[in-house]
Amino acid sequence: MPQFESHFFSSLIFWEVVSFAILFFVLYKFAFPGILSMLEEREKKIKDSLDQAEHHRSEAERKFKEYEAKLNAAAKEAEGILAAAKERAQRLMEENEQRMTVEAERIKGDATREIDRERRKAIQDIRAQTTDLALLVAEKVVQRSLNEADNRKFADDALEALSKSYQQ
Amino acid sequence: MEDNPLHPFELHDWIPIALGGLDISINKAVVFMWIAVSLAAVVMIMAGSSRKLVPGKLQNLAEIMVDFIRTMIMETMGKEGMRFFPFIGTLFVFILFCNLLGMIPGSYTVTSQIAVTAVFAFVVYGISLVVGFMLHGVKFLGVLIPPGTPGWLVPLMIPIEIMSQLARPISLAVRLFANMTAGHVLLGVLFGMAISGGLLIGWLPFVFTVGINVLEVGIAFIQAYIFTMLSCVYLGDAFHLHGHDDHAH
Repeated sequence: MPQFESHFFSSLIFWEVVSFAILFFVLYKFAFPGILSMLEEREKKIKDSLDQAEHHRSEAERKFKEYEAKLNAAAKEAEGILAAAKERAQRLMEENEQRMTVEAERIKGDATREIDRERRKAIQDIRAQTTDLALLVAEKVVQRSLNEADNRKFADDALEALSKSYQQ
Repeated sequence: MEDNPLHPFELHDWIPIALGGLDISINKAVVFMWIAVSLAAVVMIMAGSSRKLVPGKLQNLAEIMVDFIRTMIMETMGKEGMRFFPFIGTLFVFILFCNLLGMIPGSYTVTSQIAVTAVFAFVVYGISLVVGFMLHGVKFLGVLIPPGTPGWLVPLMIPIEIMSQLARPISLAVRLFANMTAGHVLLGVLFGMAISGGLLIGWLPFVFTVGINVLEVGIAFIQAYIFTMLSCVYLGDAFHLHGHDDHAH
């Protein structure tokens, strides 16, 4: 095999070492740092972007939850307000009704008292007129005028008897 | 000339040079080594200097290569192995460009020279030994006794492990050399058949030639990968004594 001709080994090995050393130096100095840093930069960028996306996602989720909670709270509050309004209306209605009843009761009472007073007054009037009438009649019958005190006494007695009989 | 499929591997001194007593004559292999190294340097420098966030074709290619090597090192040696990145990276790029350059008809496959592959193999193995002894001292000799070996087996295991250790650089060198040589020999033989077979039957080996050529491009990548991968594994063994034994062979 031509590859085992040892005549070429020294030159092959020498130039291999030299070429490798040069390539090593060149790549080490000018190629690898740039490419490696570029790779790292891109990895970092991608990682950052993913992190950011994740952050945004969680933020959005948090906001959503927050809004949902707010919405729920608002709904609950509205319900509460509605219930309170209903209760208030109910209470007002009941209050009104009660007041009306009391008022009606009062008016009725007033009216009853008024009637009673009117009745008493009427009786009083009738009594006075009756006294005068009786006096007049008695005067006519006796034909003489008793003194005022006697008059009054007779009349009162008569009236007493009259009212007694009336009450019975 | 076509009768001998090994003919393409023959070398002739083009410019005889002697350095002291050392013969460092320029021949075809040396010239193609220079071409491969120049191409590698130009491609990698151009790729490294264009620092775009969204890479172009060349930058992408170089970045894939660098990332590939980096991943390989991380997996076999861990983070401290990144100190070897320039060496492993240069090794990969050197072998890959030599392998691929050899695919051009009329060129020379530098990695089909056993001397070239042997130097790489022994340098890699030598570095792994140096690193191993520097990190672990005499305890690195424990690499000869696989973990879990029962005491009475130790006298048997040590010679076997010595053989296996010696086989590492040899297999590393021979694998690359043999793969590169065999592919080209096969291509040469098939192409010779295509020429001598004439139109009537010669198209068959010619079709094979095309197929094998595609395969050879793949092998150029795969062998560069295997060589650097095994280098990483051997260096990794030196880093973590008994840590990666399952990768070793």
